Amino acid sequence: MSEATSPEIKIDNFDAWYGDFQALQRITATIAPNHVTALIGPSGCGKSTLLKWINRMNDLVPSARCSGTLQIGQLNALDRATDVVALRRRVGMVFQKPNPFPKSIYDNVAFGPRLHFQVNQAELDELVEWSLRKAALWDEVKDRLRKPALSLSGGQQQRLCIARAIAIGPEVLLMDEPCSALDPSSTAKVEDLIYELRANYTIVIVTHNMQQAARCSDTTMFFYQGQVVECGPTQQVFTRPQQRQTEDYVTGKYG
Amino acid sequence: MEPTPTPSVTPPLSLERLASRRLSDRIFYLLCLGIACSSVAILVLLLVAIGYQGASSLTPTFLSSSHDPENPDAAGMYPALVGSLILCLLCALVALPVGVGSAIFLEEFRPRGRALRWVHGFVQLNIANLAGVPSVVYGLLGLTVFVYMFQWFGKLEQNSISGLDLWGVERYYQFLALDERSAIFIPIENPAEPTFQFSESLAGLDGQLRPIQVQAWEPGQRRPLSAEALARTVRVGEIGGVVEIHRWYYFRLPFGPSLLAGSLTLALVILPIIVIASQEALRAVPNSLREAAAGMGATRWQMTQQVTLPAALPGILTGGILAMGRAIGEAAPIFVVLGGNIGKRTGPEHLLDSCVTMPILIFSWADHPVERYRQLAAAAIIVLVVLLLLMNATAIFIRGRR
Repeated sequence: MSEATSPEIKIDNFDAWYGDFQALQRITATIAPNHVTALIGPSGCGKSTLLKWINRMNDLVPSARCSGTLQIGQLNALDRATDVVALRRRVGMVFQKPNPFPKSIYDNVAFGPRLHFQVNQAELDELVEWSLRKAALWDEVKDRLRKPALSLSGGQQQRLCIARAIAIGPEVLLMDEPCSALDPSSTAKVEDLIYELRANYTIVIVTHNMQQAARCSDTTMFFYQGQVVECGPTQQVFTRPQQRQTEDYVTGKYG
Repeated sequence: MEPTPTPSVTPPLSLERLASRRLSDRIFYLLCLGIACSSVAILVLLLVAIGYQGASSLTPTFLSSSHDPENPDAAGMYPALVGSLILCLLCALVALPVGVGSAIFLEEFRPRGRALRWVHGFVQLNIANLAGVPSVVYGLLGLTVFVYMFQWFGKLEQNSISGLDLWGVERYYQFLALDERSAIFIPIENPAEPTFQFSESLAGLDGQLRPIQVQAWEPGQRRPLSAEALARTVRVGEIGGVVEIHRWYYFRLPFGPSLLAGSLTLALVILPIIVIASQEALRAVPNSLREAAAGMGATRWQMTQQVTLPAALPGILTGGILAMGRAIGEAAPIFVVLGGNIGKRTGPEHLLDSCVTMPILIFSWADHPVERYRQLAAAAIIVLVVLLLLMNATAIFIRGRR
């Protein structure tokens, strides 16, 4: 399976708008492969916007547009000629609220492979098991794969969504506040999972939770009003921030 | 800072108004209750009156026999029951795919280009408008488009060869056999000849279209003795006219006042209802599911087919069944397209066959000068209402299972 090295994401001079509102200004950053990069910042600072441009989910928003470059490995993600279907196969996404399909657990994980690959039943079974194991959910659901996914708890649903995302062998995983709808023990499980998954994927995670960024990320980017204020190793951003705004935010003075 | 001016009144004021507020609340509650109860009461009254009038006529024979203009006690609603059911089914078969397809275009495939966005807005606006058009107007539309087809295929005339036959029709000269009950058919050799004078024994078909040798009988000769022989003997000199035998797959243009024209017209009537109900069902599917599918790299069609449509299906089916309920009770457009003839003794036998429906039958009976027929109308209404209740119950069941 996808033990290949994951790509680097290069963002250069990137601007993004919703209608007339400029959500991101001149973002230049590099997101390292096999790292967890946390995007933090107060609400409306543009971190989710950046995330949604990486796999072009913003194509679904009629007023959204952007300029600049955003490269995933060798692929120019923003090029009109880039097939979003192919792009999204390489760049998986996990959303804020667990959003399993109203199908069985098995069919949820098999959804992506069935879309993209010609697989037979045995291969599909194997792929589903692999994904669920990878998402640390296999032991909890192996006896009820045919049960509806909506019968799982919130934390299990979110791990199912992660399993569903990795079942198509993406290289990058985007996570938009994946734990904000979960209780603390489920959050801990998902965080552990995220930290383990970076061995195979480039992971970008948006979070409002400082502790979470501190716990499970390698690099932290602090956004404020559409700009990257500071970017560095998580350890450094949280203990010795270079910028005043970053310090105020991570110590909880605003946000 | 300026000091706040002291107002002439300050809260709290006296609580005296509380009593009158309670009273008006109470009055309004009772008013609403009264109105709600009275509407139900009127409905119950209606059903009881109909039940009282019609229950005694509701017998198995009533359901299995056809309209009898002379003897109301032998009259029944079988052709109308079958006709309405088939009409309604055909109508759904046409209206559901088209309606759901339009709803998918309007909700899931919102175009981004300027010209297509205009089309989208135009269609959306028109569907809302069409839902408000009186159904008799659809009847006139159906008459022009489906029954006559703008007379592109010539004038449609009763009892003559008209229109463009495509398949499933055979024409014969028809004779009455000597037993004066059985029909005998002779193949046409010269299509231009409208009649044929029978003179000698030749090959033909009996009433069930089985090939036979037709015997000739001269007046004055001895008549054949057996009933079987009488049924395939024709008197010499008898003149036969052209008849059309329609197979079950008979088809021609234009459709004429037929089952197909009627169901297409009804499909037009319920199309806006189905589109709007399906749009609402699609809109009720949470966006997070679409995002999840899009995030997995699904195309718009894969997203619609595998995620959105299955999630919206209960709502769509509910809307579809309610629309079919509307269709089965519709009288005006059917009256315009199919006419008010209730004499047919069977259900429709092919797509272009004429068709009696329950509302038309009820309409004719309820208007009849003979009291007994008016009781039959009440019995037919009971059948129609039971059918509608069954359909609505199915809709509620489907909605509840979600």
